[in-house]
Formats: sequence, C-alpha cells, structure tokens
Amino acid sequence: MTLALPPSARRRAFRLPRKLPAPLLGGGFILLCGLILAVFPSLFAPYDPLAFDYNALMAPPSWAHPFGTDNFGRDVLSRVIHATTIDLQMAVFATIGPFVFGTAIGAVVGYVGGTTEAIFGRIVDAVITFPFLVLVIAIVAVLGPGLGNMYIAVGVVDWVFYARLIAAEVKVQKRLDYADAGRAMGYSPARIIFRHLLPNAITPAMVYLMTDMALAILLGSSLGYLGLGAQPPAAEWGVQIADGKNFMATAWWMSVFPGIAIVIAGLGFSLLGDGLAELMRTKR
Amino acid sequence: MAEPLSNAGPLLSVEEVHKRFALPHGLMRRLAGKPPQAVNALNGVNLQIRRGETVGIVGESGCGKSTLARCLVRLLEPDNGRVRFEGQDVGELKGAARRAFNRRVQMIFQDPYSSLNPRMTVRQILSEALSVHRMRPAAQIPERIAELLELVRLPQDAADRYPHEFSGGQRQRIGIARALAVEPDVLVADELVSALDVSVQAQVVNLLLQLQEKLSLTVVFVAHDLRLVRHIAHRVAVMYLGKIIEIGPTDRLFSQPRHPYTRALLDAAPELDPARRGGQAATRGELPSPVNLPAGCLFSTRCPHAFERCFKERPLLSPRGPEHRASCHLEHFGLPEAAA
Repeated sequence: MTLALPPSARRRAFRLPRKLPAPLLGGGFILLCGLILAVFPSLFAPYDPLAFDYNALMAPPSWAHPFGTDNFGRDVLSRVIHATTIDLQMAVFATIGPFVFGTAIGAVVGYVGGTTEAIFGRIVDAVITFPFLVLVIAIVAVLGPGLGNMYIAVGVVDWVFYARLIAAEVKVQKRLDYADAGRAMGYSPARIIFRHLLPNAITPAMVYLMTDMALAILLGSSLGYLGLGAQPPAAEWGVQIADGKNFMATAWWMSVFPGIAIVIAGLGFSLLGDGLAELMRTKR
Repeated sequence: MAEPLSNAGPLLSVEEVHKRFALPHGLMRRLAGKPPQAVNALNGVNLQIRRGETVGIVGESGCGKSTLARCLVRLLEPDNGRVRFEGQDVGELKGAARRAFNRRVQMIFQDPYSSLNPRMTVRQILSEALSVHRMRPAAQIPERIAELLELVRLPQDAADRYPHEFSGGQRQRIGIARALAVEPDVLVADELVSALDVSVQAQVVNLLLQLQEKLSLTVVFVAHDLRLVRHIAHRVAVMYLGKIIEIGPTDRLFSQPRHPYTRALLDAAPELDPARRGGQAATRGELPSPVNLPAGCLFSTRCPHAFERCFKERPLLSPRGPEHRASCHLEHFGLPEAAA
C-alpha cells in the first residue's frame, strides 16, 4: 500500500527550480558584469586610469572620452571601470567577516538564551547607540585611514546587526518540534544549532548581506569622500565624486558618472537580495 | 491487540514526578510583594510501563499529558521525582549512556508540519539519525533508508524529496521512520494523529500497531481521543490537572470506570446513536487554574459526587481490582450496587 505522489512532485534534491526569480537573474547579471570589469579592468578601460593628459583637462563627454576627463585630464570612464575592483572588493570584504562572525554568535546566543542573551543584548545596545557612520569614522580615525582599517572598523560595528537578526530567528526556530526532535535524538547542541536551526534562520541575514554590500560601497565611498578610505590617486567612486564636487558647475561628468556606477552596483546587490529571498523562501 | 510480551520489572517508570513552569514574575507583582507564580503541570505522577505494552494516556488539553511525554524522553527535566529506564535514573545519565537512552526512547511529535526540518530531504533526515548513532556503516545507509521507507509504507522515491512535498499523514510516517531508524525500545507518541484528517488517522494508527507487533516496541500513546486509545492501548491512564486519577486495563477502564472524571470523559464522547446518548452533563464548571490547585481532591470543584472530605483531603491512587487503580474517596464509585 505505497502511496503514489503526483508526478509534479518528482523533483530531485539539490536541483534548482526551473524558473529562477527575475530579480535574481537581473541582479546576478549586473554583478557578473561588475565582476568581469573588476577582474579585468584593463581589457575594457580605453586609457590608463592614472595617466594625465594636460591637453584635455575637464573635457566634456566626447567620442574620445565618453565620460569626459577630470581636472588632471584623466579619462573618467577608465577610472570608473578601474574603481570597480576596489568598490566590489569593499562590498565583499567589509561584509563577509561581520556576516560570518555575527551569524555564528547570533545562532549560539539565540539558542542558549537566558543570561547570555541578556549580556548580548546590552552589547548590541551599546554598539547601536552610536550612529553607524560616526562610529566607523571614529574607529578609522584611531586606526588610521586606508582600506584595511576600514574593513576592521566596519567589522567591529556591523556584526551586531547580523547577530541580532540571526538570534531572533533562531529563537523562533528552536521552539519548533524539529528542534525538539533533534534533542530527543540526542544530537549535540552544535549540530542542532548549525545543521538544523541555522539553515532555517539564515535567509533574512543573507538578504541583509546583499543590502549591506550595497551599503558598504556607499560607506566606502563616504569614507573615500572624507579621505579616510581608498587613498588618491587610486580610482574609487566615492573619491571621484569628492574630487568632482569642486567642479560640479563646470564639469558635472566628473561626479555624475561614478555616482551612476554606485547606483547600478547598489541596484545589483538589492535585486540579488530580493531574488535570494524569493528563492530561499521556506516551503511548509 | 497483542498481549504484553513480558511481565518482568517495568522498562520505564515514572516516580512521583512534579513539573512546574514559572510564570513571568512581573515588576508590578514584585512591587506588590506577591510571590512568583507557576503552572503546576505535573503534580506527582507515578506510572510503570512494561516492556512490549502500549499505555494510553488520556485527558483534556492542559492536563499535563504532553509534559509527561516530554519528561519521558527527557526533553524536560522533572523538578521532583525521577524517571527510570531499566531501573536507572534517567536524570543521572551522562555522555554515552545519555545518548544510548536517547536512542532507545524515541518520540513522535504532534505537529507533522513543524516536526521535520523543512530544509532536509527525507534521506538527509534519516541518514543523520543513522550515522549519528552509528546504526549502520556508511555503505549500508542507503539500503537501510530503503528498508525504513518500506516499513512505514512510503514510496522509495520519497527519499530525495523535502517534507513540504508530502501530506500530513505521509509526514507523520516520516516522523515514525526517523524514530525507528535508531531502533528504539520505547516510542512515545504525543498526539500522533490529532493534527491529521480523520480519514488518515486510522491508517497511521494501524501502521503504528503493526510496527509495534513487528518490532516488539513499547508504546506510550498520548491522546485526547478515547476511541483511538481504546483501539490501541493495553492499559489506559487518565490524567486530570497533572495527576493520574485512574489507571487500568483498557477493557476494564472503559466498561467500568471507577472515577467520576473517567465516567464523565466517557459520557462526553460523542455518540451517534441517540438511544445511547446520556441525559445530563456529568461535570460542571471549568477546568480549575493549574496555578492555584484545589486544596482537596483535584476534581472536587467539578465533581457531581463531591462531599465534605473531597474538599479537604486529596485521595490516593488505590486499588480497584486487578491492575486497576483510581483516586477517589468514593471507593465503590462505578460498581453496580454502589448507585444505591
């Protein structure tokens, strides 16, 4: 008396659904293009991003310089392309550490609860009392400017957001019967937390990670703008916008094109986040 | 219904188990100097379960039957009293002995929609249980999974699907397969089928009965549905407000209940034949709050037969016949001549 199942249910494990969510494809496409630009910028950039051309200072967009040139005669298009390397690197490096660390801490805190959770709550309160940007700027100011220190500064602050998200979600999941089933089976707490609860609790953190990558680019750009992030003459979108701000009236292209690049990158990450959320939605 | 396999010492025994759940002790209550409150979920439960038998535990919602089930598999620690497995105090087991206990006493959960990890395929769920408890060498795991699926009558291609692709009844079979994967001695089934459609309930319950016979399992069947318990259990324990108020062989308990509450429960069961419907309600009022228990007999506040002594003194669970015990001051309650 085996029970037959509808053929539509005959899907094998680990196979992706036939129709991927559109935002995932859109975001993935944008970021894939960005990744290619970031890895091989010289293949696409028409000029050396650092080469001065005193014959074309602040030249408006033309066929020779589609995005124009800046106040040193550097090709804005080439600089925007080369900046992809640093900006995508910032997006990933500034967020992966906090994501991994915060997720691990949050999962354990959410599962253990009690006093541990109370102490954790106070730490979170202490960190989020400060405006994010102000705290990061303060830490970078102490450590000194530069990308490496920026990653550290972001990491010190950013993990609490992941930890808080995961802890809240794990607290919900650990009350469900499948967690009790694991305990009744005699599984270790580590196995229950990381193998059973975490996969069911991680979706919001993954979605937040995507948003956070976009925010990291904006933050890196803000710090670059303030001179605390990527250092000149390296091409970075925030630094470029900052450089162009003095010439907004006469050479708008110096700031506008790097700005558009930031918007597109942010859009890519956000779409990818939405798509992931849709893809990973738990079926009950 | 198979006879119990052996009459040797109990396999699992519950001795005077108490369990309280503290209620939040709010600031206003603290300021007012009121003591912290607690729900008295179990108030001294004693129960012996023999190897191979099926014990039904029945009672209204909130009577503590699920709490008792969770204490049996050690998902909850009793506040007082102990649970013994093969004579050993379960609360003192550590390390490998504790894992062995977990393996040998398994639980099946009420809600088939939350008791399976939605991100694991059936194969992953089963092979995890098999490999953590080293039931089979890795090479034999696929074969064993196929056996288990056959045992609970699921198709072989179920292995690589996720829980959401199954119906409630099928999910409950997966839960049974998971419990059986570790070859337990005792299965504690907490409201095994109450979340299922009536049409599926019989299938799952009959599967459990057959498996019990085939694998000589000891089963603790927690339910509120009397018909199911009557169908499946050798002995039945009736719980009220965290205490067993009557326990006895299924036939005796159903044909001659010796406690007014059991009588009321049986009378309250819906009856299709109008001629057999009882005239009056056998209980009155609401279930008392488990926070403030009645002083005397726990049932005294609702008992139609209560007299003075019932409000002062809590009756003991005392013999009423072979294997039959009830806790009521009316020792002759339920006997034909006692009506006079």
